[in-house]
Amino acid sequence: MQRLLYQRFSAMMYTVCLRYSENAEDANDVLQEGFMKVYRSLSKFRGEGSFEGWVRRIFINTSIEHYRKKVKLYNVTEVQENTIEDDSLDALDSLATKDVLNIINELSPGYKQVFNMHVIEGYSHKEIAELLGITEGTSKSQLARAKSVLKKIIETRAQNSKRSR
Amino acid sequence: MQNFKNKLYHYETPPPEDVWKHIAEELQHEKVINLYTRRKSKFLFYGATAAASVVIIFVGSLFFKKNKEPDTTANTETRQELLAQKIKDSINLNQKILESIIHNPREKKEIISKDLSKTKKYLTVANPEGQPVKISPKVATLIISADHEFPPKPVWNKKIDKWQKIMLASTISPTSISLIDLVQLAANSENIE
Repeated sequence: MQRLLYQRFSAMMYTVCLRYSENAEDANDVLQEGFMKVYRSLSKFRGEGSFEGWVRRIFINTSIEHYRKKVKLYNVTEVQENTIEDDSLDALDSLATKDVLNIINELSPGYKQVFNMHVIEGYSHKEIAELLGITEGTSKSQLARAKSVLKKIIETRAQNSKRSR
Repeated sequence: MQNFKNKLYHYETPPPEDVWKHIAEELQHEKVINLYTRRKSKFLFYGATAAASVVIIFVGSLFFKKNKEPDTTANTETRQELLAQKIKDSINLNQKILESIIHNPREKKEIISKDLSKTKKYLTVANPEGQPVKISPKVATLIISADHEFPPKPVWNKKIDKWQKIMLASTISPTSISLIDLVQLAANSENIE
């Protein structure tokens, strides 16, 4: 049973762990911890919503816990959520998923958490604020800065590839 | 537009092989992870609730009895005997009615009329558990009209249909047909009076 669950979800959940962790070593730890939590909490699954969604939530929460043990998030000055247009991320569509993952991993841990939770997982700023123990304003400003940094990374990559040609 | 979100959401990266080894080791240390904890706790919860309800009802009934009428043990015993007798009488009467329906259709009217005069126009029948139940003849109208389409009574029809099924399934109670006959007769006898 445990083995089957691992075979079915490990690859997908490992991507989640990699997206939230600072390095592969941390991701491995989170993957192990996450699966143990899934096994221990199986009886609590009520069948409301998809099982995959339930498992994913456990892994995201485990990643956040792991991250919060290491890094203390500070509330920063609020900035408008839409300072950076979402269009700036359209360039990511043309890249291979593995490259997108690598680009996101270049973000600092704080930006990465908020970006993943809001853009990829679809959490609201209120939910992010509750889970990370920050204010909604901080979540919004972290996201705006994450987008700004991502834009710069994408531009630098584009320039580098032009030069190499 | 921004397909990378979906791609990334479902993207799979095979984890290093040793991760499963560590998990397997940890699982061995924990021996067995009970997958049925919730069921057990649910069972315990319902069990505890049922036990608590029984205790509350018991204590409540004791308190009620004490406050309302301070009974002696002898009185309680007499009351229980009386109640047992009443039930016995009721079952006997029901049996008598049933026998009369089977053997002598004429007699059943008399028995019912007699019974009605005694019991203030209530008919005693056995429920699926074999316990006596008093049915008002007024219900008769409702039961008799259950089969008619007009006026529509979907809720009552459903209830009566369910009741009939329960009665049919029971080996102790009279059949639904004979029961309806009884109720109908009770209603008729009320009209005669």
